[in-house]
Amino acid sequence: MSVKAIIMGQIEQIAREHGKALAPLSDDLVLMESGLDSLAFAVLVVRLENSLGIDPFTAAEDALFPVTLGEFVKAYEQGVVRSASATGL
Amino acid sequence: MAKEKRSVLVTGGSRGLGLAIAQRLAASGYRAIAIARNEGKHLKAAIAHAEQTGQGPLHFEPFDLGKIDEIPLLVRRLHKQFGPLFGLVNNAALGYAGVLATMGDSKIEDLVRVNTLSPIVLTKYVVRGMMSAGAGRIVNVASIIGVTGYSGLVAYAATKTSMIGLTRSLAREVGRLNINVNAVAPGFLATDMTQALDAENMTKIVRRSALHRFAEVEDVADAVEFLLSDKARNITGTVLTVDAGTTA
Repeated sequence: MSVKAIIMGQIEQIAREHGKALAPLSDDLVLMESGLDSLAFAVLVVRLENSLGIDPFTAAEDALFPVTLGEFVKAYEQGVVRSASATGL
Repeated sequence: MAKEKRSVLVTGGSRGLGLAIAQRLAASGYRAIAIARNEGKHLKAAIAHAEQTGQGPLHFEPFDLGKIDEIPLLVRRLHKQFGPLFGLVNNAALGYAGVLATMGDSKIEDLVRVNTLSPIVLTKYVVRGMMSAGAGRIVNVASIIGVTGYSGLVAYAATKTSMIGLTRSLAREVGRLNINVNAVAPGFLATDMTQALDAENMTKIVRRSALHRFAEVEDVADAVEFLLSDKARNITGTVLTVDAGTTA
């Protein structure tokens, strides 16, 4: 499953668990308008760390939280590639 | 989740109140993980006793909570070894006394680092696992000194008040995720931290309490065990005072 698919799946699951109505998920969706609140995003970041093994935002002091869903996905895609290179995979 | 499968981290678990809490939790069937810089003979004996009597496992994990940068790795290591953590008891603390005007800056810094910064960062990384699991309990050991004030314990008191702020706001933040966050505020207990008090002060403290006696570490361990239990499922954001009525 692609990184993007994993992220979308988690977003939908978290929205269901938290009873949130999601806006249509597109690359240019502004995250603050997605329907998820800050706690739900925190849960998303934690769950993605469990499934993808990385957290591009919490560890790095200067990491900026992305504005759009596309930027969010890209941060993880790049993070997965970097992590794979670092471990020689 | 069956109680015997619940892992609870107790910081400062090698002696005094922390050890009493870790021992109580192991006896109640939790997997208690005691964190401290050194194991010490008392914790070693407690671990052996827990094994011999078939109680919930009691483990020792060496770690210096002053090493803030290493906390994420510690939590990762614990998750790998023990699985998701059900509970966290932020008990470890330094208790330097002294008039603020002449207390060394490095001592103040140590107090804030170990008593405030370390538990906040440790809680950050532990609560992430609880958020993922959809359940958890956090108990922060504050103090009546964080509420009433005590001359000679200014910096210590400031750090203990911070535990109350951490408790109330985190309870609000993660309550929706079935994570309860509470504090216990012990009064003066007979532990290493109160050994330095002279007889006159000890007598004053006892007289001031409604019950005219010191609370004991076992009383605080009882309170922590209760707050971790299913009986406390609807208790969060609160401070349970265990002080024989000193602050009544």
